[in-house]
Amino acid sequence: MRLTVFAVAALAAGVGGAAIGARSGESTPGPSPAANGVPNPVAPAFTPGRPQPLPRSAYVSRWAPVRAATAARSAPDPRARVVARVATTTPEDTTNIVLVLGRRVDSAGRLWVRARLAALPPRTGWLPRSTLGGYGTVETRLIVDQRRLTATLLRRGRPVFRARVGVGQPQWPTPRGEFYVRNRLTRFAGATYGPLAFGTSARSAHLTDWPDGGFIGIHGTDQPQLIPGRVSHGCIRMRNADILALARLMPIGTPLTII
Amino acid sequence: MSLTLGQVDRDEALLEVVAELHGDTRADFLRTAALGSGALLAALAAPASASAAVTDLQILNFGLRFERLQASFYTEADSVGTVGKMAPRKQRWAEVLGEHERAHVRIIKKILGSKAGKRPFFDFHGVTETEDSFTRTTVAMEDLTVALLAGVTPQVHDRRLTAALFGLLTVEARHAAWARNIVKTTPAARSFDEPRSLDNVKEAVAHTRFIVARPRMTRRRRSPRFTG
Repeated sequence: MRLTVFAVAALAAGVGGAAIGARSGESTPGPSPAANGVPNPVAPAFTPGRPQPLPRSAYVSRWAPVRAATAARSAPDPRARVVARVATTTPEDTTNIVLVLGRRVDSAGRLWVRARLAALPPRTGWLPRSTLGGYGTVETRLIVDQRRLTATLLRRGRPVFRARVGVGQPQWPTPRGEFYVRNRLTRFAGATYGPLAFGTSARSAHLTDWPDGGFIGIHGTDQPQLIPGRVSHGCIRMRNADILALARLMPIGTPLTII
Repeated sequence: MSLTLGQVDRDEALLEVVAELHGDTRADFLRTAALGSGALLAALAAPASASAAVTDLQILNFGLRFERLQASFYTEADSVGTVGKMAPRKQRWAEVLGEHERAHVRIIKKILGSKAGKRPFFDFHGVTETEDSFTRTTVAMEDLTVALLAGVTPQVHDRRLTAALFGLLTVEARHAAWARNIVKTTPAARSFDEPRSLDNVKEAVAHTRFIVARPRMTRRRRSPRFTG
């Protein structure tokens, strides 16, 4: 009781404020005593604004890095059929990523993720969540139209970039379907691929013996006069200015639709 | 219903910290201790070490990193659909806490301006994806936030900043109590919360492995071998 009386008296006399000022040695002004002798509160340096609800977007896609080599299965079950092997790195020595499509908890309480894979033929599979890292999100989508020979980048559903492209020759067609962008290569020697190349999850069904498995890239060119056209071995070619402009807008993990 | 630290801390990240600070015997003891008895905060409240003086900038930048961790945690739980599947009472709780943490990030970023650190890459190891793991981890995270703010706020030199951090501390303490209420454990487990030093909290955050290296997705000087 005596202690309580002392504490109240000390507070009333502003001892707390004086002690803080003395310890910090700062010159910031202390609270001015109010009429009753109790110091006013120090004005805070900031006050967080009104909370805002999480914006809902129908255009968010999620990707995840592969942290441990694993088998993708046909169902969220460790006994289900293996549909593909999934490595931690790509042939370009970047972190391998998968596009996340869904998730489920199995009867044993294990979390599984359904993901789009970089496989031939293109497919999805179920991976243990424990083999994947943290999620990244994008709100972009790239659409390559082989009939119109265009590439269009959408952000939140709206076109933000469009360019004419070169696609595969009839004997080496660019594969159609749903894929994703999984890495970016820059500052490499040689002009064939232009200044920058994106690696995708798409693979050529006709050039399977190509080094590293015949993955389809989106890249620049040293033959801009051939664009637009059906000129490549399956890759998507752009003029160098266009691929550089695309690189400023398109994050890794962007879903890719080739029609 | 009485939760234990072992149940909340399934990957034993927090228990590892306890083991480092107090030894394995103490960690083993706490593994089965009930949260309602205040075991979690007792474990987290290691005696503040005589750490070197830290600047307001260091404190604010660590605060930003920690608030980003929290904000990303709630945002991910919401955006992957975990929050949407919860009962309305829990849903409201998770949404409000997420809104608050994002507001904290915005304001600290604004204060720091160009001195704000880069956003880290987070890996929540799937704990945001089931209601059970999400709510249990939230309890530990909010308790840790309270211990952090209680530890660093008195070290801030600028009194106006101290006043602002007290504003955050009281809100985070309400979050911690609300989270405990959600998992049906005692909201105020102890009569006195002991502070943690910045170094202690840094260790605890490191041991959760929620902040990880950014995936390497760009390579320089690596010639493409695409089909061309």
